[in-house]
Amino acid sequence: MVRFKNRYVLCEVVSDDPRCRQCIEDRALGLAVRDAIARVHGDYGLACCSISFTVKYLNAYTGTVLLRCRKDSYRLLCSALPFVRHLESRAQRYPCFLNTLHVGGTVRTCQKFLIQYNRTQLLRLLQNCTNEEERQCIQKSLLSCSLTEEQSQSGDEEEDDGTE
Amino acid sequence: RRELPDGGARPNAAQFKQLVVTALRDLHGEVGAALPVDVLTYEEKTLSAILRVISSGLVKLWSALTLVGFYQNRRCAFRVLQTSPFLLALSGNSRELVL
Repeated sequence: MVRFKNRYVLCEVVSDDPRCRQCIEDRALGLAVRDAIARVHGDYGLACCSISFTVKYLNAYTGTVLLRCRKDSYRLLCSALPFVRHLESRAQRYPCFLNTLHVGGTVRTCQKFLIQYNRTQLLRLLQNCTNEEERQCIQKSLLSCSLTEEQSQSGDEEEDDGTE
Repeated sequence: RRELPDGGARPNAAQFKQLVVTALRDLHGEVGAALPVDVLTYEEKTLSAILRVISSGLVKLWSALTLVGFYQNRRCAFRVLQTSPFLLALSGNSRELVL
C-alpha cells in the first residue's frame, strides 16, 4: 500500500503576555514555525518540511496547536520548535514558546491524547485554584463534561466512560 | 581535496573556511554551520585545500559546496577532486599511476 504518511505534532503555546492569547492565528503561527525551520535547518530543511506543512487545528483559548508534516521530516520540525520565540501578528510581537505535547500519526490519536491531557489539566487546576468561586466553576465544568459523556453515544467518548 | 577556480580574488585560509561555513549555513542552517569542518591544508597559489569532516556530514558538506555560486561578487565553483577516509590516499591518485 503506498500512501503519504504524515506526523501530527501537538503543541501548546505558552506566553507570559495575556494579549498573546487573543492574536494566535494559524497563518501567523505557520509563518513563525517556518521561519524558525529556515533559521535552524536552512533552505534544505525549509523545503523538506514545507512539503505537507499546515496548521491543522488551533485553539486560541487554550493555546493548543496541531501541526502536520511529512513522516520523513518530522524530526527536523520537532528540533526547530524550541527556536520559536516570537509570535508576530498585526505588527505586534509577543514573546512565547511552544511546548510539544504529543506526536501522533493521525489526527484521531492526537485528539484522544488531547482529551486525556485536558482532563488531567482540569484536575490540576482544581487542586491549584485558591478562589472559592473559581473552584465552583471548575467543579461544575468537570461534572458537566462527565455528564455529556454518559448522555452522548459518540465513539470517542465511550472509552472515557470506562476510565471515569 | 577541493579546487576552487576563481577570477581575481584570492581568499586566504580564514576566508576560505568562512566561505565553507557560510555555504553550510545557507543550505543547512545553524545545524549545518555547526558541523565541525577542518581545513587541514590550504594552498593560496592553486586555491586548493584538504577538508576534513565527520563521515555523517559528508553529504551535507558536499551539497553545500556544490551550491556555492559567488565569492565577493565573482563567479566561482568548488570542484571536488578526491574524497577518501584516509589522508594518505589523498597524496596520490591511483588512476594516474604510471607503472
